[in-house]
Amino acid sequence: MITEDARACILVTGIAGGLAQEVARKLRIAGHEVIGVDYRPLPVLAKDLEGMTVFRASYNKTAIEDVFRGRKIKAVLHLGREGNLSKRMGMRFDLNVLGSQKIMNLCVDHGVKVLVVLSTFHIYGAHPHNHIPISEDDPIQAGYDFPEIADAIQLDSMASTWVYKHPEVRTVVLRPTNVVGPTIHNSISTFLRMKRVPYLAGFNPMVQFIHEEDLATAVVRAMDGNARGVFNVGGPAVLPWRVALELADARVFPVPSSLASFYIRTFSAFPEYLINFYKYPCVIGDDAFRKAFDWAPHVPIDETLASTVADARRRQRPEEPRA
Amino acid sequence: MALLPLIDDDVARALDDLPTHVNELGYDPWGFSPSYARVGYTLAKRFVHSYFRPDVDGIRNVPAGRVLLIANHSGQIPLDGVVIAVTCLLEAHPPRLVRPMVERWFPRVPFVNEVISRGGATLGAPINCRNLLNDEQAILVFPEGVKGSGKVWSQRYKLQGFGRGFMRLALQTNTPIVPIGVVGGEESLISLHNWKGMAKLLGMPYLPIPALLPVLGPLAFLPLPVKFFLRFGEPMTFEGRHDDDDAGIDAKVQKVTAAIDGLIADGRRARTSLF
Repeated sequence: MITEDARACILVTGIAGGLAQEVARKLRIAGHEVIGVDYRPLPVLAKDLEGMTVFRASYNKTAIEDVFRGRKIKAVLHLGREGNLSKRMGMRFDLNVLGSQKIMNLCVDHGVKVLVVLSTFHIYGAHPHNHIPISEDDPIQAGYDFPEIADAIQLDSMASTWVYKHPEVRTVVLRPTNVVGPTIHNSISTFLRMKRVPYLAGFNPMVQFIHEEDLATAVVRAMDGNARGVFNVGGPAVLPWRVALELADARVFPVPSSLASFYIRTFSAFPEYLINFYKYPCVIGDDAFRKAFDWAPHVPIDETLASTVADARRRQRPEEPRA
Repeated sequence: MALLPLIDDDVARALDDLPTHVNELGYDPWGFSPSYARVGYTLAKRFVHSYFRPDVDGIRNVPAGRVLLIANHSGQIPLDGVVIAVTCLLEAHPPRLVRPMVERWFPRVPFVNEVISRGGATLGAPINCRNLLNDEQAILVFPEGVKGSGKVWSQRYKLQGFGRGFMRLALQTNTPIVPIGVVGGEESLISLHNWKGMAKLLGMPYLPIPALLPVLGPLAFLPLPVKFFLRFGEPMTFEGRHDDDDAGIDAKVQKVTAAIDGLIADGRRARTSLF
């Protein structure tokens, strides 16, 4: 629980993204002063975020130090992980590993009391031999098939070590499942919004999704709570991938997995490894997080998916009436 | 669902009587779906009852609540699991949905992976078993694994060495074991040889050379309509540490294999004709 120095502010990284802005919105409504930072160009802020101080700074450069200097920061919510695996490996390593390390060191140097780090469930990997559900204690196996995800694994492992190495900073590492929502622009949301969505013939694994609104609440709960550690954050339901596509009102077509692999390897920026997430289950269990932070998702699964694709479907099918 | 009028009444009633463990979309986390299971079990019942015509004894030994069903494995194509699952759903009181634990290669097989998971099968991983047993479900384990289903004719009805995993699981979760002897599977597809080299090339655990291949050609890979005999033994409970040394676990496993050997012998004695 953050109690001291009510005037101190909360730093949210990745503020150019939809999730960080949703978190900032919730914090401001709760009466906190929030500052944001992102390495990407800063967007024009929505009306309810007007007046929020935002900075553009690479997490691994000295500019990020200036954000910490001269102000009292009581909590850092590090949501700015570069998750787009089609981006250059070197850039992802600089931001996710070196940048995160710098931010974590700055937390210690500047007496920050709480650090929440957003990791991802992708680090578990989707394998045919995955049991269900995967807990926080299960091995991180994604690197086995896909060494390019090393930056995400290293960020997670660095933050997990931090939990015990620096007890003066209460650190919570979150490993959410597929994050979707109207303002999210990651690989899975983009995929769901495609005009025609391919699925792998003969495969229909169980999947999970979490709405940005629910994840934003989870981040705020993690900050406000007392527990520390590494936690999975699942969604409202586990469902087959093709049922998810139905809920996303997607027009689908089957492709053989070998053809999909060949196409992605040859022509697409989409990471080939992610194909496994459409073949094999990677279902995570989040009982520990729900219990520790008294959290549960509130957006139903149908609304979670429908809201993610609503704008895209309106553009793609303007003739169809919508509720 | 378009197939709804064709759903067997007994199957629908039995599935309706099962405790609900599915979410609002009708799935459990492993992919089981009662609405798909209605279709699958209807087809399976018609096939099993008309083709294999199982003679069942001792089904009353299958209790309510958590239970490990431990059976001998045979038949190349693991249809013994289907026969046991249909029997437990339609003849046990209360009806039991059997969760077969499948080999690691099944999730890689297109289409099959989905059919079996919608019907209740899951990957045979210890954590899956533990979670399902803690959920008071019935798990079917063939401790011989592919060594059992891939047996050649000269090894018929000889148990191929049980693993210890099921016993450690039973001790850890305080679960009774119901031994099952299956007779008929060995004769349903008689294999004279396991073509290991080709199996490896195709990514299969084994590749049988059926005895009737010269006569029937590719049709020899289909099972014959032999009559099955299922013998369910009395529940066995074990006490001790689940992390006991191998010798301690082996002694308990030996009791289960002896019980299954006895049940197989009962079934073979009851059989007067292969068909």
